[in-house]
Amino acid sequence: MYTPDLSGDSQSRYDRLMETYLSTELRLVNSGLPRVQVSLSQLLAEPQPQISCADGTQQMVKRSELRYLAGLLDPADYDSLLLPVLIEMAGQQSEATVLCRTETEVKLISAMLEMNMRCEQPGRLRIYKPQMALIRKKMQTTTQYVFSLSVEN
Amino acid sequence: MAQLIKVRPTKIELVKLKRRLSLSSRIHKIMKDRLSILTMEFLQAARQTVTAKQHTIDAMTQAYKAMTIASGYHGYVALQKELAASQADITVTAGPRNVAGVRIPSLELNEPTGGLRGYNLAQTSSLVDSASDTAREALRVIIELAELQRGLELLGTEINRTKRIANALEYILIPNLKATIRFLAMKFEERDREEKSRLKRVKVILARKVVV
Repeated sequence: MYTPDLSGDSQSRYDRLMETYLSTELRLVNSGLPRVQVSLSQLLAEPQPQISCADGTQQMVKRSELRYLAGLLDPADYDSLLLPVLIEMAGQQSEATVLCRTETEVKLISAMLEMNMRCEQPGRLRIYKPQMALIRKKMQTTTQYVFSLSVEN
Repeated sequence: MAQLIKVRPTKIELVKLKRRLSLSSRIHKIMKDRLSILTMEFLQAARQTVTAKQHTIDAMTQAYKAMTIASGYHGYVALQKELAASQADITVTAGPRNVAGVRIPSLELNEPTGGLRGYNLAQTSSLVDSASDTAREALRVIIELAELQRGLELLGTEINRTKRIANALEYILIPNLKATIRFLAMKFEERDREEKSRLKRVKVILARKVVV
């Protein structure tokens, strides 16, 4: 088995390598995060709806999904729904958290899952994995995962 | 079995090893999360691919059936002549989407603008319209299938890569670090015990000297 030579100065180099790797992995898994969240009404008005990602790329948004979301909400809520909806993963594999800036996200998720949902903590809506799979199935280009390290780590 | 990492048995090394263990655990946690997400997406894509394949077969069958009926009604040559002049603008919007760091192509068939079919509606029957509709539906499901299959390939490759890293961390790096930390901790305890017994021995010798 390969074991790095950790004598003297090289150990700190190894630590640096690990830190670089951690930050690279975090950057890679979070590369799809949006620079700015865009409202549903803005995306509906665009001829080719796109969202700018943190890594400088553009993510395409399917028009059919936008129409589906528009069908679930009142027209008054189009401005307050910011897309993509962020789903946070923080160490617990059985559940995730939908980050809600406004009540519209809660309304949307409730309508999508056909059940009343409410935030246990302000701005954070807990969902379980089967629910997440259902949301992702219906909102492939309008949701995005956020990977974060929990506080105890 | 966990192997010991070659390090000098000093307290500074122990602190560094503990820091490395904490870092490795954090990377492992992220990897596990990512693997779980990618697997979920892969399984979903696999299920959707099976459905899309069935839809494609059905849509193609229906499209050919409708076309055959239409050409039987109008005559093959007449239909070909009518359709030769038809111009249908088919555009597909393509772009990437990011799933936990994996860039997957996203394809969407654009709706036709203007609602014109490109052939003379007065001289053709509704059978041609039906054939056109079913062909369009077949095209839509083919594009959907293409997107799903490419996504499935990319997700599969990424799952393999992530799994290898997560396993290397879980079964090699982290156990080795833990074993080395345990070994160093035991070594320091042993050193402390030796030091204590040495001091006791010196104390006894000094006490004897005072008595003498």
